[in-house]
Amino acid sequence: MIATVVDWDALLQVIWVSLVAGVGVTAAWGFALLGSTRAIEVGRERRVAEAAIYAVVGVAGLVAVVASIVFGIVVLTGD
Amino acid sequence: MGSEIIVVIVVATALIFDFTNGFHDTANVVATSISTRAMPPKLAVGYASILNFVGAFISLEVAATVAKDVVEIQANSIGLLAVFGGLVGAIAWNLITWYFGLPSSSSHALIGGMVGAVFVAEGADAIFFEEGVIGKVMVPALVAPTLAFIVGGFAILVLYRIVGRMRPGPVTSGFRFGQVISGGLLALAHGTNDAQKTMGVITLALVANGTIAADDFHVPDWVVVSAATAIALGTYVGGWRIIKTMGSRIHKMDAAQGFAAQGAGSTVILAASHVGFPLSTTHTISGAVIGSGAAKRLSAVRWGVAGNIVVAWVLTLPAAAVIGGATYLVTRLFGTGAAGPIVVSTLIVIGTVLLFVRRSHQGAAPGVVPAAEGAP
Repeated sequence: MIATVVDWDALLQVIWVSLVAGVGVTAAWGFALLGSTRAIEVGRERRVAEAAIYAVVGVAGLVAVVASIVFGIVVLTGD
Repeated sequence: MGSEIIVVIVVATALIFDFTNGFHDTANVVATSISTRAMPPKLAVGYASILNFVGAFISLEVAATVAKDVVEIQANSIGLLAVFGGLVGAIAWNLITWYFGLPSSSSHALIGGMVGAVFVAEGADAIFFEEGVIGKVMVPALVAPTLAFIVGGFAILVLYRIVGRMRPGPVTSGFRFGQVISGGLLALAHGTNDAQKTMGVITLALVANGTIAADDFHVPDWVVVSAATAIALGTYVGGWRIIKTMGSRIHKMDAAQGFAAQGAGSTVILAASHVGFPLSTTHTISGAVIGSGAAKRLSAVRWGVAGNIVVAWVLTLPAAAVIGGATYLVTRLFGTGAAGPIVVSTLIVIGTVLLFVRRSHQGAAPGVVPAAEGAP
């Protein structure tokens, strides 16, 4: 009976969105921290190229977090 | 005139329920941020209150589910009394579980109370048992904490892989700052899902009263604003109690775990709110907290908390349904006018005061806030 009464489309949507957003945003924040912290550390050692790469990773992580939150709120308020 | 008085009583009762929901759930929303020292307690509570208020305006899908998809109410005084019986059933069950220290869920109590009262008032045909109760309430209620557990667990494992070799100082500071964001999202999610349940019940009462036509369903703006205000005030007032007690009631978790748990809990609740599933936010947040702890070290988790969730899940719906049905019958002893709700409301107020007095003489109630106590 459960197979026919549950709105599987909605439930599966909740599952995949939660997994992608929950793990993805958390990981993106982790990369933002990794990039920004390492960029400062290697920058102090004058390793400019490496610092630039870490800075890009950090900025990309931060942009991903902000973009995900903004996108999520736009989707939620869009209906 | 009689039905107008009943509507006023139902709306007031629903808003009181909403207030107590915010009051009770403050711990779940702010505990993680405070225990990891991401935010000072006063700031965390104020911040959570504001975002609970804002969250109530984000979506109306859950309100629509509660008002349209679980029970069918007739536009007459019987329907109005059934809504009142359901609300009282939920409040009474919450009071009983609080008094005896049993685990519970306000959301499940509300749905259970409504189903029980409408079943007695209008018969089994008025309950959308399969697609409504099972499909939109019970199955999502089971899936959500499990999903939050898995997402919280995966998230913390991924985080440890990314930042595991870094110096703890900057990482901890970074995650504490991140918790300002994730804690805000969690408060937003809580306001979105829980305030909408009250909006749904008030709208149901307005349909029963004939104020809103059943085929022209909409949630009036004043309902949204009043439900948002009630849950935000409840969160704020409840916070002061939490600030006083949380030092001894909450186990420490690291900032990364707090961030992962809040992120997992908020994404599950927001995703479910978007498709209109009325969840137990307490159970979902608890699932995320336990998941982020279990992924680090299984033995660090209080598995009794998970057991409490299962017990609450099994008990709350039927118990609140029985009380909701019984309340409707008691109310009908006084006819279909306002006398029944007035008498029952008075009895509930007296009973609540007596329970509080008795409990205060016996000492603090055992913990019934799984997320607050379940932090690894």
